[in-house]
Amino acid sequence: MTGHIRWTRLVTLLMALALVAAACGGDDDAADTTTAPDTTAPAETTAAPDTTMADETTAAPDTTAATDTTAGGGETVTISAAGSITATFLPKCTNIPVFPQANQGAEEAATELGSDPAAFVGPADCGDATGQIEFMTNAVTQGVDALMVSNNAGDELAPSAESAAGAGIPVVTWDSPIPSAAGESVFVAQVDFDETGKVMADMALSILGEDGGQFAILSATPEAANQNAWIAAMEEVLQGDAYANLELVDTVYGNDVAEDSVNQALALVDSHPDLELIMAPTTVGIVAAAQAMTQEGLCDQVKVSGLGLPDEMRQYTLSGCAPEFALWSFVDLGYLAYYVAYGLATEQIEAAEGQSFVAGRMGEYTIEADPTRDAGLRVLMGPFTVYNADNVG
Amino acid sequence: MREWLRTHRWESILAVILVGTIVVNVVMSPVYLGTGNIVNLFWLSIEKIIVVLVMTFVIINGEIDLSVASIMGFAAAVFATAFDAGAPAWLAILVALGSGAFAGLVQGLVVARLGLPSLVVTLAGLIGFRGAARVLLEDRSITGFPEWFTDLGQQTLLGPLPFGLILFVVGLVLSWILLERSVIGRKIYVIGNNAEVARYSGIDVPRLKLRLFITSGVVSALAGLMFAARLGSVRGSLAEFFELDIITMVLLGGVSIFGGSGTIVGVALAIFTVLNIRNGMGLANVDGIIQTGVVGSLLIGSVLVPNLVEKFRSRRPAPPPDAGQAAGSDREVPTVSPA
Repeated sequence: MTGHIRWTRLVTLLMALALVAAACGGDDDAADTTTAPDTTAPAETTAAPDTTMADETTAAPDTTAATDTTAGGGETVTISAAGSITATFLPKCTNIPVFPQANQGAEEAATELGSDPAAFVGPADCGDATGQIEFMTNAVTQGVDALMVSNNAGDELAPSAESAAGAGIPVVTWDSPIPSAAGESVFVAQVDFDETGKVMADMALSILGEDGGQFAILSATPEAANQNAWIAAMEEVLQGDAYANLELVDTVYGNDVAEDSVNQALALVDSHPDLELIMAPTTVGIVAAAQAMTQEGLCDQVKVSGLGLPDEMRQYTLSGCAPEFALWSFVDLGYLAYYVAYGLATEQIEAAEGQSFVAGRMGEYTIEADPTRDAGLRVLMGPFTVYNADNVG
Repeated sequence: MREWLRTHRWESILAVILVGTIVVNVVMSPVYLGTGNIVNLFWLSIEKIIVVLVMTFVIINGEIDLSVASIMGFAAAVFATAFDAGAPAWLAILVALGSGAFAGLVQGLVVARLGLPSLVVTLAGLIGFRGAARVLLEDRSITGFPEWFTDLGQQTLLGPLPFGLILFVVGLVLSWILLERSVIGRKIYVIGNNAEVARYSGIDVPRLKLRLFITSGVVSALAGLMFAARLGSVRGSLAEFFELDIITMVLLGGVSIFGGSGTIVGVALAIFTVLNIRNGMGLANVDGIIQTGVVGSLLIGSVLVPNLVEKFRSRRPAPPPDAGQAAGSDREVPTVSPA
C-alpha cells in the first residue's frame, strides 16, 4: 500500500511538473471545468426544484412508515423531463473503469431528461476511504439538487450525508450504500446482496467441484460496505450442505489498487499451499489475481473467480485461468441512479416504501425496504450475468 | 513595511498567491464567501493543519517527524480499543493522549540521546505505530462513541465555529508567540541553524529536542482523536498518509527542510493558500486527481524551483560588482546575469 501511494504521488509530482511547464494549458482546463456548472447554478437554484424541495428529504424518513400503505397501492410514476437539475455523481474513486461507465449511464439519463449532466468528481485513489467527505461537503455547499454516491467507507460518510439531507438534498447511494442508512434517501442496488453471496458460492462450487477444496477471498478495502455485505452473504450460503466441502481459508484486502491486489493474491498462494481458488468480488482484484496467477504459471493450480468486467477478463476466461465470473451493467446502474435522483429532486417520486416508477429504457421498479440492512430503502436493479468461455465473447 | 517585505520575500509571494486564489474563488463561485463554506474549508482539514503547527517547530529545529499520521491512527486506535473494552470515554481519551506522549518520548529519546537521525527514527515510527494501530483493530471499525464526543467533531461549538477550528486559532496564536516572541523559540532557531553552536552556547539541545518530540506525539494524538470524532468511527487506517500533506504545507510556508529558518506567518499563509485552492477547485468540481496535481505543483514551485535557480546561478560567473545591486536585497545573490 505504502509503495503504491508513494508511487502515485511521484507520478503526480511529475504530472504537476508538466502542468507547470504548460501553465497556460493547465489553467484553461481548470477554468473550463469551473465555468460549466457555476453559470447554471444561480439560475438553477431559483428555478422549480429548489423551492419545493426544502421539506422533501427531511420529511422522507418519517413519512416512510406512514405512507407505506398509501404509496404501496399507488400508481406507477413515469419519471419524465421536468427541467434541468444540478447534481453530483460521486464514485468511490475516478480511476477504476466501472465508475466512468456508471457515469456514462448517468449522462445518458440526464440527456433523456433534458438535464445538464451531473458533475463526475471523486477522490483520485480508492485507497482513500474518507476522501469522499470533502466532495460531499462541497456538493452541499454548492447547493446541488441531488447527490449520487457510491460509498467507499462505512458510516464515516453518514454525517455528511445527514448534512446534505438537512439541506434538503436527496442522497441516492448506488453500488455501495451507507450501512446505517443515515442521511440516505434510497440505495440503488445493482443486485440483491444476498444473491451476490449465492452467485459467488455457486461459482466456487462449480469451479472446485463436488470434492471441494480450499479457497480465499480477495476483497477491496476493509471498509467497503458492499464488499463486506457480499462476503457476509457468501459465508451464510456456505453454511449449506451443498457447500460443505468448500473451505474458506482467508480474506485479504487489495484496496482496489492493482499492485496491492497482485501482492495479496501472491501472498495468498504462498501462505496456503493447498489453495485452489481465489474469489475476488471486485473488478480490480479479479483482474489482478488472474494476472498474477497467469504470470506465475499457477493457473493449473489456483483458479480465479468473482466479479469482473468481460472486457478485462476475456483472455483469462478463454485461457481457463478464470473459468467463471459474474457482473451486472455499471452503465445501467448509473442510468437508474440518475433517474431515481432526478425523480426525487423534481418531486415526481417519494423516497417511500412501495413507490413505483418507470425509469426510461430500463422499465418499472419499486422502492422497498432494504432486506440486507437494518434500515434504509432500496431499488433493486439486477440481474446477474454469469460469464464463461461460451458467452464472454 | 518595506523592511519586512525585503526580509520576508517568501511570505510576500505567498500572500499574493493567497489573495489571487481568493479573488479567483470569489469570481468563480457564488457560494465561496458563505460562512458555512469558510468554516468547512478549515474543518475538512482541521486535523492536518493542527499537526502542521507542531511540525513547523520540529522542522525549524532541524529535525523531521514522519510518524505524525501513524501516531494519529495509533492514538485513535488506543482510544477505540479502550472504549470498546468498557472504559469511559474520558478515560480512553486520556489513555490515547498518553500513548501519543509515549510514542513521542520513545522517538525523542532515540533522536536526542542516541543521536540517530530523526528521518530514520520516525520512519520506523511511521511503520511501527501504523502497524500497532492495525494490530489493535485488525479490520474492524469501532463506533458508538458518546454523543458529546462525536458532537465535538461534527457540530459547531461557538456560533458557526466548531471546536477544532477554535483550537486551531488558539494553537496558531500560541505557536506565533512561542516561536517568534519567546526564549524557547530563539533556542529552536539556533539549534536548527547549528546544533554545535547551540551546544557551546549552553543550550541543552537534547532536552529541547525530546520535549519537541513529546509535544509532536501529544498533538498528533489529539488530532487523531479529533478525526475520530469527526468521522464517528475508528479504523486502523485512520489518517493514513496525512504526513505528506502536513509536511507539504510546512515546506510551502517557506520553512527550510534543513532547519533554522521559516516563520509561523509563512506557514499560516501556506495553510490558507492550500486550503483555499483545494476548496476553490472542489466548488468548481475539479477532479481529485487534478487537485492533488495542483497542490503537488505548488510544492515543486516552492521547494524545487528556488533551489534549482540558486544552483544554476552559482554555476555562472559572478556578475560585475557594479550591476546596481547596492540597493538590492541583503539575502540574495545579485540576479542580473551577464549573458
